[in-house]
Amino acid sequence: MFNTKVELKGYQRPNGLWGFRNHVLILPLHSALSASARNIADATVTKDSYGAVGISHDWSGESDSDYARIFKTISGFAANPNIYATVFLTINTPVEIDLIEAAVNFGANKIEVINLAALGSMEKLFEVAVDAANRLLVEAANEHRHLAPWSAIRLGLECGGSDALSGITANPALGVASDHLVALGAYSVLGETTEILGAEHLLAARATDPEVGKQIVETVARYERSINYEGIDMRGAQPSRGNIEGGLTTLEEKSLGAAKKAGNAPFTGVLDFADRADKPGLYFMDTPGHDIEQLTGFAASGINIVVFTSGRGTPTGSATVPTIKVSTNTQMFDSIPDLIDLNAGSIADGTESLEEVGARIFNEIVEVANGRLTRAETGRHHEFSLSRMYGTVIS
Amino acid sequence: MKLDITNLNGFDHQNRGVGIRNLQLILPSVVCSTHISRRIANEVGAVTFAHQHGCAIIGDDVAGIGDYFESLAAHPNIGSVLIVGLGCETIQGNELAEKLVAKNSSTNYLIIQESGGVDGTYKNGVKAAEDLQGKYPPKPAKLTSLHIGIDLSSPNLLAAEVVTSLQSQNVKVTVSSSHKNSGLNFSELMESGVHLILSFPDANQPTSGFPFIPVINIASDSALHTAIATDFDLPNKSSVDQVIEKIQEVVAGAGTKVEKMGAGEIITPRVVRSV
Repeated sequence: MFNTKVELKGYQRPNGLWGFRNHVLILPLHSALSASARNIADATVTKDSYGAVGISHDWSGESDSDYARIFKTISGFAANPNIYATVFLTINTPVEIDLIEAAVNFGANKIEVINLAALGSMEKLFEVAVDAANRLLVEAANEHRHLAPWSAIRLGLECGGSDALSGITANPALGVASDHLVALGAYSVLGETTEILGAEHLLAARATDPEVGKQIVETVARYERSINYEGIDMRGAQPSRGNIEGGLTTLEEKSLGAAKKAGNAPFTGVLDFADRADKPGLYFMDTPGHDIEQLTGFAASGINIVVFTSGRGTPTGSATVPTIKVSTNTQMFDSIPDLIDLNAGSIADGTESLEEVGARIFNEIVEVANGRLTRAETGRHHEFSLSRMYGTVIS
Repeated sequence: MKLDITNLNGFDHQNRGVGIRNLQLILPSVVCSTHISRRIANEVGAVTFAHQHGCAIIGDDVAGIGDYFESLAAHPNIGSVLIVGLGCETIQGNELAEKLVAKNSSTNYLIIQESGGVDGTYKNGVKAAEDLQGKYPPKPAKLTSLHIGIDLSSPNLLAAEVVTSLQSQNVKVTVSSSHKNSGLNFSELMESGVHLILSFPDANQPTSGFPFIPVINIASDSALHTAIATDFDLPNKSSVDQVIEKIQEVVAGAGTKVEKMGAGEIITPRVVRSV
């Protein structure tokens, strides 16, 4: 059952947060450096080394309405505790300099800045960054894990491609694991504002403080207002076409199932997108339902491990945060085995109880925290998306 | 200097026109399939790009992104197109394929959730892409017309002179809106079907490219551009003749600096927040 006797081991960072990976991240601060970031990371992969991780994005430092949100996301992402060192690729603009400083203030463990303007060409930038990454990878490999408390775990709860079994198998099983971790003193964070719409009153009733309950309800209301402001009915996108094909009928049904990921523990607080929780407990974070935007927001908040339930299956993973995929039905688990780590369909098959699958998820979280690679990590699915509140063509 | 395209060969791309490149596009219809698309593209020598769209989109963005993908497939520099979808997203791969086939008959699609996962999709994808290449081999053809895009963030004397010279030679020219960000201008120019782009990046922006449209980057006298002078195809204070000569070379097949690097992110325009 729940393997609570196992020793949890990680890397403690100067800001007190714990990491369960020791990544070297290649982070472009301008979209035009994204291809370089990818090429640099790829050049460090060898037969014996996972190599550095790189991300791409489409931001070029625009000071538009989304500036603060994007600034916070990228600087927080660079400071995720699973990162040993972040190699920033820059053209040395004032915005980039501020962003690097913000990452350091957030507690980025170690940074290296590779400045295109000083090096004179993309070619030189590539050479210098590959050398830096290789040097940092050697340093990272020489670091040792130390015994970590349960509060080292900052778990993100996510679902994507939900189906009719999500709320019956994988989500409540993840809720069992989350409750167990919260009881041990860990952090657990539920996101996806769009996917608790219709279930917010049930979550609010579990708040430790009435003020937190009010915040949950207000977060959902604010979200709905922002969509209505666009003159769009949310119900056109939710449940999604894939959800409907998977057997979900209404947004409320989807929400009630999605909320099950957070088990039955009381809610300690509400977090803004990419905000970091400051004491252990269960939280709700205001994020979009977009799988990768949410995952990126989680990483930016310091979350160091994610469990992602899916009815339809997805390759999704993060460059820095191990993402354990759990299938809601056995048929999907069998049909796309290299995408999914655990199957919760056994609950519907009648071969395992909710509690048993919850314990398996819990044990997997601990094993992955201690270093076992997830399917998404093995496949190098290093996805990254910036969440925008406004369009890219409105400035 | 006169641009001489009469003796240049391009590639006959049927209803898309004659292109100056023959590139196969591996098109991820959703953010979830961008990684697998890159693996396939690298293996078969095709182009692809990363993006964040295709799911959790609402309102005008659903049709907007679909139309954008359609214009990629309809571009004259594109040979065949392989769409890679996940299966449960808003923009469904099979429907997108139906839409794209009307613009580009050499289009096929694959769905991750129906292909046995990542490895299955990779193997099937490589095969499907190679099959398309075999079925639609490069077909050289005389280049009968040329359409050049100008990426301009602010008024520029050289750009104005080049436009006048090209127009006097019956070359079609489209000048972008003045977004400071070249990426948005490139997307706009792609949608109008330009064969190649002359980019005059903003003083504070580096060089950049587009996956299947050669981009000639021309430097300004800014401190950044001076510092990274060797990244540019043409220096600050180039003459109109130098620009025309460079266009001539690139149309004939010479790779631009960003083309050689394999650089080329796409900025897909969107109008509404993500959900």
